[in-house]
Amino acid sequence: MPLNQPVLTKRIPTPPWGDPRDRKTVSYEQFVATGGYVGLKKALAMEPKAVIDLIKASELRGRGGAGFPAGMKWSFLPPEDGKPRYLAVNADESEPGTFKDRMLIDFDPHLLLEGIAICMHACRLDVAYIYIRGEYHQQAVTLNNAVKEAYANGIFGENSILGRIADRWPQCHVHRGAGAYICGEETGLLESLEGKRGWPRIKPPFPAVAGAFGRPTIINNVETLAMCGPILDFGVDWFKSMGKGRGENVPPSVPASFGPKLIGVSGHINRPGVYEENLGVSVKTMIEDYCGGMWKGKKFKAAVPGGISMGVLGTAEYEAELDFDIGKKYSCLGLGTAGVIVMDEDTNMVSVARNIARFFAHESCGQCTPCREGSGWIYQLLCRIEAGDGTTRDLDLLLELAGSMGAMPGTTICGLADGTNWAVRTIVNKFWDDFEKVCKKSNTISLPVVG
Amino acid sequence: MAWIMKNSAGMTVPRRTEPYLDDELKAKLEAEVMPRYPTRQAATLPVLHALQDKHGWLPFQAMEEASAFLGTKPSEVADTASFYEMFHLQPKGKYVIWVCQSISCELRGEHDIVKAIEKKLGVETGQTTPDGKFSLMHAECLGSCGSGPCALVNDKLFEDLTPANIQQALDSLP
Ligand SMILES: Cc1cc2nc3c(=O)[nH]c(=O)nc-3n(C[C@H](O)[C@H](O)[C@H](O)COP(=O)(O)O)c2cc1C
Ligand code: SF4
Ligand code: FES
Repeated sequence: MPLNQPVLTKRIPTPPWGDPRDRKTVSYEQFVATGGYVGLKKALAMEPKAVIDLIKASELRGRGGAGFPAGMKWSFLPPEDGKPRYLAVNADESEPGTFKDRMLIDFDPHLLLEGIAICMHACRLDVAYIYIRGEYHQQAVTLNNAVKEAYANGIFGENSILGRIADRWPQCHVHRGAGAYICGEETGLLESLEGKRGWPRIKPPFPAVAGAFGRPTIINNVETLAMCGPILDFGVDWFKSMGKGRGENVPPSVPASFGPKLIGVSGHINRPGVYEENLGVSVKTMIEDYCGGMWKGKKFKAAVPGGISMGVLGTAEYEAELDFDIGKKYSCLGLGTAGVIVMDEDTNMVSVARNIARFFAHESCGQCTPCREGSGWIYQLLCRIEAGDGTTRDLDLLLELAGSMGAMPGTTICGLADGTNWAVRTIVNKFWDDFEKVCKKSNTISLPVVG
Repeated sequence: MAWIMKNSAGMTVPRRTEPYLDDELKAKLEAEVMPRYPTRQAATLPVLHALQDKHGWLPFQAMEEASAFLGTKPSEVADTASFYEMFHLQPKGKYVIWVCQSISCELRGEHDIVKAIEKKLGVETGQTTPDGKFSLMHAECLGSCGSGPCALVNDKLFEDLTPANIQQALDSLP
């Protein structure tokens, strides 16, 4: 069943409810006139802990990539000690194929600010930093204007409706990055916020215990926070009536995929853009019902489900459901950001792999050898294969190299290398013929690889 | 590539008497930016952005002045500045063109856009035109994958590019 009303896109004209050409930035007045900040008022009438419990009960999962339950994250904070505690809003959005947070910031920035205020109240955080990627010049201006409006209307600053938090008036600031994908990784973001290079930290300690400036810090994605206002306003049952939910006889301890999701679709389709649908909608529905079908009437070949770190879906996986279980079901890394990249029958998957490997080689921060050296090596191998100079042995090497890197195999500090790993392995495995076709048979016999 | 270090041994820093971080800018930063952070070092990125907005790039002297302002070592500022793609440690053209080369844009024809720009400007990616007007750069995903191919020219985004409309767009820049 399609979503029966727009939630995050309530004020952002989006098909089937509106025309993207009518999109305009919603001001504070317009936001309030259309039911904005009601969720915040309801939150303020509740004890902070009750707000956390409510978000927990809604089973809202992070929209920034990992799908970690937001309410659970919020409950990891240590007890208050009167010293500063921070909220770092992740607006670094740099994963190829992902452009959803930008839409929220461009057109409905107060929806994000409402979520920020709710989180600050619930978690007792007195300063929020919105870490926005440096390339989002215009968006930083829009956001700064909205923050100014929010201060002027008593959301933040002196006499804020949040009241004093740890005896200080709550503050919200926009902090611009300067062009580094790795600053989207939560601890890379914190390092960058502290004025250093964006080198991810070894965990533990986790940010909830020792984050920005060594103090307890919550890090959430823009879309995750934007979802909080509507949940507070319309309730847990309303939120859980949307999305995939839990199958029958599945115990409540198994995480499910409730709620609506922004899905950005790009690549070989007729109407690329950001749409809103229930979690669990299929790739096929997105392409055919929302995106006007495949570009130039070509056939579907492959799709990235949620940003290139997640790997690819094969030609036979056209009907894959976009929910948090997609990884297990279709052997990819996960839903990621739900930034779907569609590729048609003429696409050369060797070139796709080469492009993606270059991204990771370029964006590796360089701390961990498997990621720094491995990604560059993989990129060179793929360039060679693309040029027609590869051998089938190179393909084995490619898979071995890719499979060895990442935080999941335990060889690197952060998840960037897992992205390299999954992207390369799934493309090569699912489109083996594309690669084998352009590779010569190896004329040396390789020793069997042990382990 | 953030982790390739520069050869700094024996390098001399060109200097001028007029400061890059002048009193007016200092006062503005002190009033608007510094109170936001619990440490002065945290203002490194905003300070570097302000300096680059004013001068077009970040000479070493500017970074030294920033370090004095931020209460850090000059090497710490240089360390941070050299990590980020958007900070220029060399002078750049008046307009810096960043063409997205990531996957969604490549699928929609990024190669043709780059070729058209290279032909029009007579430079290769990474170079600046002899008149100092344009620098052509490659960027990774600019976050507008749905309207690719796209390019950022200084702070303005150009979307749905074709070889024809990018040439027009560049012609329209003063
Ligand atoms: C290499 C890398 C890049 C990431 N980039 C982003 C990003 O741009 N935006 C984002 O929200 N999360 C990003 N994440 C995920 C964050 O680390 C973090 O999980 C997320 O911001 C938490 O927010 P959420 O729980 O609300 O999703 C990235 C993770 C990794 C490993
Ligand atoms: S995995 Fe890669 S990006 Fe992550 S910390 Fe290690 S080197 Fe840096
Ligand atoms: S891939 Fe070009 S903007 Fe995202």
